[in-house]
Amino acid sequence: MHASGFERTRPVLLLAMAVLALLGFAIGHPAILSGANLSSMAVFGVEIGMIALGQTFVICGGDTGIDLSVGATMALSQVILGRLLHGGLPWPVAVGGALASGLALGGVNAAAVSRFRIPPIIATLATLFAYDGLALVVTGGVNIDLTKSPPAFLAIGQGTLAGLPFQLLALYLPLLAVFAFVQHGTRYGRALYLTGTNDRAATLAGVRVARVRGWAYVAAGLVAAIAGVVSAARLGTARPDAGAQANLISIAIVVLGGTGIFGGTGSVIGTAMATVVIAIVDYGLSYNDFNPIYQAGVIGTILIAVILIETPFVAWRARRPRA
Amino acid sequence: MPTPSSPRVEVSGIRKRFGGVTALGGVDLSIGRGEVHALLGENGAGKSTLIRVLTGAIMPDEGEIRIDGAPRRFAHPRDAQAAGIAAVYQEPMIYPHLTVLENIFTGNEIASAAGIVRRQEMAEAALPWFDRLELDPALLHRRMGELSLGYQQLVLIAKALVQDAQVIIFDEPTSILSQAETDRLFTIIGRLRADGRSIVYITHRLDEIRRISDRVTVLTDGRVTGSAAADDLDEERLLDLMAGKAHRDYGKPREDRRIANDADPALRIEKLTRAGLYDGVDWSIPPGTVTGVYGLVGSGRSEVALAAFGALPADSGRVLLHGRPISPRDPAQAIALGIGYLPEDRKLQGIFATKPLEANLTVSTLDRFLRAAMRLDFAALRGEAARLIAHYRIKARDETVAIGTLSGGNQQKALFARWAGQSLKVLILDEPTRGIDIGTKAEIHDFIRSLAAGGLAVVVISSDLPEVLAVSDRVIVMRRGTVVQVAEGEAMQAETILAAAVGAAARAA
Amino acid sequence: MSVDNPAGTPRTIGAFGPAPTTGRPAPRPPRDYLPRGREGLLLVTLAILVLAAGFGSHGAFWSRVNLDNLLVGSAITLIPAIGMTVVILTGGIDVSTGSMLGLCTAIGGTCFAAGWSIAATIPVFLLSGAAFGLINALLIINGRIPPVIATLGTLSIYRMFVFIVLGGNWITQIPPALTMIFVVDHLAFLPVVAVIALVLLAAGMVFLRYFRWGRHVYALGNNEEAARLAGIKPERIKLAAYVMLGLLTGLAALLTLGQSPMAQTSTGSGFVLQVIAAVVLGGTALSGGRGTLLGTLLGTLIVQVVDDAIVLLHIQPFWGGVALGAVILASIGAGAKREAMETR
Repeated sequence: MHASGFERTRPVLLLAMAVLALLGFAIGHPAILSGANLSSMAVFGVEIGMIALGQTFVICGGDTGIDLSVGATMALSQVILGRLLHGGLPWPVAVGGALASGLALGGVNAAAVSRFRIPPIIATLATLFAYDGLALVVTGGVNIDLTKSPPAFLAIGQGTLAGLPFQLLALYLPLLAVFAFVQHGTRYGRALYLTGTNDRAATLAGVRVARVRGWAYVAAGLVAAIAGVVSAARLGTARPDAGAQANLISIAIVVLGGTGIFGGTGSVIGTAMATVVIAIVDYGLSYNDFNPIYQAGVIGTILIAVILIETPFVAWRARRPRA
Repeated sequence: MPTPSSPRVEVSGIRKRFGGVTALGGVDLSIGRGEVHALLGENGAGKSTLIRVLTGAIMPDEGEIRIDGAPRRFAHPRDAQAAGIAAVYQEPMIYPHLTVLENIFTGNEIASAAGIVRRQEMAEAALPWFDRLELDPALLHRRMGELSLGYQQLVLIAKALVQDAQVIIFDEPTSILSQAETDRLFTIIGRLRADGRSIVYITHRLDEIRRISDRVTVLTDGRVTGSAAADDLDEERLLDLMAGKAHRDYGKPREDRRIANDADPALRIEKLTRAGLYDGVDWSIPPGTVTGVYGLVGSGRSEVALAAFGALPADSGRVLLHGRPISPRDPAQAIALGIGYLPEDRKLQGIFATKPLEANLTVSTLDRFLRAAMRLDFAALRGEAARLIAHYRIKARDETVAIGTLSGGNQQKALFARWAGQSLKVLILDEPTRGIDIGTKAEIHDFIRSLAAGGLAVVVISSDLPEVLAVSDRVIVMRRGTVVQVAEGEAMQAETILAAAVGAAARAA
Repeated sequence: MSVDNPAGTPRTIGAFGPAPTTGRPAPRPPRDYLPRGREGLLLVTLAILVLAAGFGSHGAFWSRVNLDNLLVGSAITLIPAIGMTVVILTGGIDVSTGSMLGLCTAIGGTCFAAGWSIAATIPVFLLSGAAFGLINALLIINGRIPPVIATLGTLSIYRMFVFIVLGGNWITQIPPALTMIFVVDHLAFLPVVAVIALVLLAAGMVFLRYFRWGRHVYALGNNEEAARLAGIKPERIKLAAYVMLGLLTGLAALLTLGQSPMAQTSTGSGFVLQVIAAVVLGGTALSGGRGTLLGTLLGTLIVQVVDDAIVLLHIQPFWGGVALGAVILASIGAGAKREAMETR
C-alpha cells in the first residue's frame, strides 16, 4: 500500500466497468457518445458525485459512520438559497448563505455523533426527518421558481467552460482534487484512516477522534449544499424534495468505490470512478427510457454484485504467498 | 494429591498447523485425577491452541486424545463437554444482558419436549453448586453484565460443575482478580481437587504455581520442553524450563542502579483517587531513571497512568509535571505536554493492524513532517520510519508492510519506537514485554535503559517480577488501588516486593 | 475449610462430589407486574401523548373513526415490527421492508385483479414475503454482505420490480371484502387487524421469553462466538429471523390493501423508517442482544399517536417530525446512560 493510503485495485476495476458500460450502451445507441449526451451524463454525475465525496469521509472515519441526511441537506440548503434569492439578496450572498447552512446542518450531525455519542444511523435518520420537514416549512410545500434569477447564477448549473459543463470543470473537479489532497496528503486524512481502523489506538496515540469524525460530517454537509446550489441553478427551481435518492446512491457509490463500510479503507479517487460508472449506467438507462426507479434498482444490483464477487477474490488473494 | 491410577486425560503427539505456522509440534501431556496441573509458557507457545484442541473448538491435524483411557474425537465443543471437559477463560465468555441462570444454561437448557424452558428446574439444578461455591442464590436472576469479573468467573465455574465437568481448564484466571478473589479461587480449586477432578491451570505466575499445583508442564514454541512435579522445582529451574536458552541474564537484578534524586521529580502524582479503582495514590518519578510499578492485575496501576495521560480522569488529587500542576483533557494534550503512554494491549489499543508500519510509527508525530500548506512530507516520513526500523532492529521487509503481519515482538518494538522517537519528559510503558519471546524482551529492556540514561523519566508497569527487578532503579508496589511500598536500594528484593504486592501473609499453605 | 452437608448424604471423597439435593427450592425471579424501567417510561410517555392529543383536539381524538384508524395503522406497523425486533436482536437489520411491502402488494394486487379470491391470495402474500426475506438472508449470511448494504441494495431492487410488475399502473380492483373483514369488522371493540397483530405479538412474546430457541436469539445477539461454541447455530437463527420478517411483511402487505385498497408503485415508501423507529424507540439496541416486544408495541403506538396528533391538532408536519425525532433521541440518550451505568 502506498504511504498515502492509496490502494490501486478497486479503481482499476471500476475504470474497466466504466469503459464496459459505455461501450455496452454505445452498441445499442451510438448516439449516446455524442458531446451533448456525455455532457448530460457529466452533469448528472456532478451533483451525486459531490455528495459522495463527503459520504466517503464519513464512512472512512469508521464506527459505522454514515450520513443518511445528505439528500435532505441538499434540499434544505437549496430552498434556503431560493428564499434568499427571492428576498432580493445578491446571488453570491444567497449562495454563501446556502453554503453556510450546509456547514451548520453538517455541524448538527457532527455534534450528535461526536459529542452526544448517538449512533450515526439514528442521528442522521433524525436529522433526515428534521431537515426534510424544515424544507417543507420553508417552501410551504411548493417549489421555488428561480428561472428569473440573474444569468450569472444560472450559469453555475447551466453554463459551459471550454465546451464542458461549468459545474464539472469549475466545481466538481476542483472539489475532487481538494478532497483527494486532504485524504491522501494531509495529517487530517491520515488521522481519518487511522481513526477508522482502530479508534481506541488512535485516541491513545493522540488523535482527537471526535474532532476528526465531526469534521467529516461538516464536510458532508458542505458538499451537499454545493450540490444543492448546482442543482437549483441547473433546473431553475429550488425543490424541497431534491436529493430524495441521494442517500442510497451516495452510499452505493462510496462502497462501490472501494471504501469499506466499517471504515479505515478506500479513497475518494475510487469514489470518483464509481461516480463515473454510476453516471454512465444511470444516464444510459434513462436514455433508453428507463425511469429513476430502474436506475436505483440497477445501482442496487451492481452494489450487491460487486461485493459478492469481490469478497472471495480478496480472500483468495490473501491466501496467496506474497513475493 | 494425585492418585496412582491411570491418568484422566492423556494427549499424545498433538500437531496443529495454521497455514504455514506450526502452533503445536507434537505435544504429549498427561493429567491425573485429583491433580492440579500447571501449564506454563509464553504467549505464542501454543497454550491457547492446546486448550482449543482439548475443548473441541478445533481439531488437531495429528495426535490422539484419551479420556479415562478411551480414545475420543472432539469434532465440536459439545463433544468435549460430553466428555466432561470445561474451560474458564481469561476474558469471561459471557452473555452480558442475559441473567446468570441463562449464562449457565444457554445451549444446555432444561426444556420440555416442545422447547419450553424450565427455569425453576434449572435454578434448582444450579443451587447446590452455588452453595458449594458460597454464591448467593439471588445472583441467579441478576444480569451477568452487572457482576464483577471475579463473580462472573465463579458463575462460569458453577456452569462447569452443573455440566458435571471432571476436567476444568483455567486460562490465567487470576489476571482479572483481586487478592481476596484469588484466595477464594484457590480455595475452590483445592476443593475441586479433593473431589477428584482434574484441573489444568494456565499461568505465568511462578508464585501461584508453587501455591497450588501438583505438576508443571512447560510449553515453548509448540512443544513440551519440560515437565516435573511442582515440589521438585524452584524458581531457578522454572525459569530454566521456560526460557530455555537465554534466561541466564534475565531476571538478574541490575547492578548499575541509579540512586534517585527525589528533589525534582519529572512526574509527581499526589493523592490521586478514583472511586472503585485507586485511592490516595502518590507516585514520584525522577528524571533519568526507570521506575517500576509492580502489582497484580487489578491493583490500579494502569488506571493511574491513564489519569496522568488524560484518558481516564481521576475524581480528586493532583498530577504535576516538573512541579507544574496539569490536567490533560485527552491524550493529545498529554502528549503535547510531554507525557507518553504505551498501552498494555497492543492488539486492541496499540497497533493499526492493516496499516503500514510507517503509519504506525509516525502517528503521533505527523506535525513534524508537514511541508507548506498542511501537506505531509512522505519522503521524510519514510525516512523517519526507516531510521526507527533500523535503530530498533524491527524485523520487517520495509516500512510499507502492514504491521499486523509482524510478530508480536516486532510489533511491540514498533510501538516502542513510536514513543521513543518523540521528545518526551515522561514515558509510561504498560506491560511492555507481555507475550514476547525472551530475546526481544532483553532488547526492549536495553532500549528502556538507554532512554533513561538520556534523561527521560521512564515508568515501567509490569506484573512480571523478574522484569521489574531487571530493569528498574526503584519500584513502586501497588495493591488493590493503593501504594503499599516504594522499594529502592537494599529493599529491592523479590521477597519483600512480592510480599507487599500480595498482602501481609505472603505465602499461604 | 468447612464442609457443608445439609442433606446428610454420605460422601466418600472431597468437598463437592455429585450434586445432592438441598431440600429447599431455588429462589424465584422477582416478578414485575408493572413494566419497569424503559417500558414503564414508554407507557408513561404514551399516556401523556394520548391525553395531550385528546385534550388538544377537543375530543376529536377519542372519536370512533380516529381510534379505529389509529389502531389499524398501528397494527400494520406492528406486525413487521415484530419480525424486525427479532432481526435486530440477532445483531442484523433490514431496511428493505418498505419495498418488500410494495412488491407484495403489487404481486397480490395482480392476483386480485385477475379475479383470485382472498383465500387463494393470502398464501401468495405470505410466500412472496418469505421468499424476499430469504433472498435477503442468503445475501447476508452466505454472501457475507453487511446487512445494511445488502438490504439497501435489495431495497432498490425490490422497488424496481414493483414498477415492473405494475407497469407503472395502479391496481384498484381489490375485493372490498378485504376491507370489510380486516378493517371494518370488529372483535371485542378492536378492528380485526389489531386483533391479529396482538395475537402475533403475544405469540412472539411467548416465543422469545419461554422457548429455548427464543432465548437463543438473545444469546446470539449477546455473544455470537460463545453461542456458537455452546452448540447454537447462528446461521440458522438469522435465516429464520429474516424469513419471518419477510413473511410478516407479506401479511402487512395484505392488510395494507385492506386499509387503502390501491397498489401503486410507491406503496410502502418510507414504511421501513416507521418500523425501525418503533423498534428502536421500544428499547431494542441496534447492536443486538437486548430489547423486548412489549417495548416495540409501545414504540409503535407512540409513533402512531404522534403522527395522528400532528394531523388532528393541525401541527405542521415539520414540528411533528421534530417532536418524534426528539423523543427518539431522548430515549436513546437515556438508554445509553443506563448502559454506561450498568457496565463497569
